[in-house]
Amino acid sequence: MRFANREESLPYYLLCEEPLADLEQRLYRVIESAVEEALDAAHVSAAQRRTLGLFIGTSSSEISVAEAVFKRELKQSRDAAPLMNSSSLGNIALWIMERFGLRGPDFTINTACTASANAVMHADALLRSGRIERALIVGFEHFNSITALGFQGLQLLTDDLMRPFDSRRNGLVLGEACAALVLEKNSRTREQFWLRGAANFCDTHSISAANPDGSTVRYTLERALHSAELAPDAISALKAHGTASLLNDEAEAAGMRQVFQRMPALCALKPRIGHTLGACGLAELALFCGAAQQGWLPATPKICATPGDLGVVLNQTPVALPPGNFMLNYFGFGGNNTSLIVSNLER
Amino acid sequence: MRRIYIQTIGEICHTVDEPLPELKDLVAAAVGQPVRRISRFMQLALIGAGRCATKQSLPKETAVYLASGRGDLEITLDVMNQLFREGQSPKPLSFVNTVSNAAAFYVAKCLGLTASSSFVCSRYFAFESALQLALVDFAAGTIDAALIGSVDCAVAPLDVHRRRLGLNADAQLAEASHWVFLSCEQTATALGEIIAAASAADLDSLQQWIAMQKLPVDGTAISCGQFLASSDFESIQKQTGLRAAFDYRAGRGYYDSQSAAAVGEYLRSAKNKMRMLLHINGDSLGRYSAMLIREAG
Repeated sequence: MRFANREESLPYYLLCEEPLADLEQRLYRVIESAVEEALDAAHVSAAQRRTLGLFIGTSSSEISVAEAVFKRELKQSRDAAPLMNSSSLGNIALWIMERFGLRGPDFTINTACTASANAVMHADALLRSGRIERALIVGFEHFNSITALGFQGLQLLTDDLMRPFDSRRNGLVLGEACAALVLEKNSRTREQFWLRGAANFCDTHSISAANPDGSTVRYTLERALHSAELAPDAISALKAHGTASLLNDEAEAAGMRQVFQRMPALCALKPRIGHTLGACGLAELALFCGAAQQGWLPATPKICATPGDLGVVLNQTPVALPPGNFMLNYFGFGGNNTSLIVSNLER
Repeated sequence: MRRIYIQTIGEICHTVDEPLPELKDLVAAAVGQPVRRISRFMQLALIGAGRCATKQSLPKETAVYLASGRGDLEITLDVMNQLFREGQSPKPLSFVNTVSNAAAFYVAKCLGLTASSSFVCSRYFAFESALQLALVDFAAGTIDAALIGSVDCAVAPLDVHRRRLGLNADAQLAEASHWVFLSCEQTATALGEIIAAASAADLDSLQQWIAMQKLPVDGTAISCGQFLASSDFESIQKQTGLRAAFDYRAGRGYYDSQSAAAVGEYLRSAKNKMRMLLHINGDSLGRYSAMLIREAG
């Protein structure tokens, strides 16, 4: 581990040996690779690409690129101005469509940490409506200084492990991710997941935290259950947002306790991949489904094994997970709360 | 199929020169209270949405769909300049406000709305995208009422902003916030009705969609979106026989999300001889979007 950029004292460590280099191109390479893999895996033909709907979820969009360009140009001239080459959040969508021959509708959802979860929800709605036959969903988030320093300024970063819902929790670790998923209407095989229900709710308590009394989290979860036509006890496992921040974990735990008389098996994935912000909706969905498809629920070791002040605890060792209904929750800045319910039971 | 009525429209749209006009008093007038420490983008959002709500109180369960062609450029530029030019870390509130849905948050908070909210960006089809998402949610029964808006703001210095938008040095700039309040309730005061919104991969697909609408030639006006090539517009007119062009763009300075203005201008210019408006827009990839609205009465 070492500083990503010692010169600027960024509050960031790299967990790999790759230096942060080529920031003006790195984002596009990563997205291209993920999209290509998803389209190939889903066998989407050139003709099908013409009508494929594109749904992007991201928080920082191309800011990583814009920062690199601006820093380079500032070195050449103090008159340089930011965002001269890419000033629309919709540009990545255009680039993906051009690169892969997509001509369906595009939607870039920018709702902070719920962005790609909302992209999944909107894609599912358009598929169900019959407006599109297939959807490509892309969630991405790349390293950028504004985000790193912004989270540091909010005192939300830990220099230790992420410990969601643990009494010793003291913040989060930021992560990078790019995930791409193809959704198709009515083409499910036995082991594939389907979105059984979903809900989004704007929590106006605070722009940076859910209501700590849990009421708005509870409301979001209840709406998702209603949408899925399920009772709380039909949820066999839950992936929490679990940022390990003081206030948000408090709100999330309170909301979950109000909804579930008996808490389902609980996991959080941010201790494994960091908080990937706008990408976490899709990245954590993919990881969760991947593990559940293999029949187990990921564990979060090295945190308190008994419920602390928040009254909930993450499972400590991988547990067997038969087919069932699973809830995945996401909460973002701007009061954006989203809950997805996926299932690998028969429809 | 549920019918969706346009209950109110609210907007602000003005050409801009430097210094940019102050918006604080307009915000306070629109939402009934001063809102401090928010960006120009958020101010514009509040003015347009607030004006929608002053004409009719909105149900608490009104979903918010906010769209933009560029997003909140001002706050992102401020933070980037502070960090890279002046070496200062972003202030906590500035950083939190960089999330684009912050404007939707303030709209919901100031108008007392407790439903879903979304922010969608599309370079060419901003308002159209938000409208499509909302119509799908209406059709599925997920929502019964929606506040749908598009916002794009100008940022000083304007000569730099023109270059950022790829405009000529003498181009007149504008900024705007256009909102419509839609619900399934058939009221006596409804201004009109949203009949459909669609996207098309190419001109042939668009023409097929238009043909399926069976539009009365003598009762339907057609408007040309800002990104639609004039040759395409002429071709569509010729193919459909819709000769009555509705011009909502005359005298309007440049901003990205102008399609929403077509809805407002058309309904404001009632009683039109044409009962319906077909609005067509295009993009750099050869795709198209269409909106079809009908005047009330």
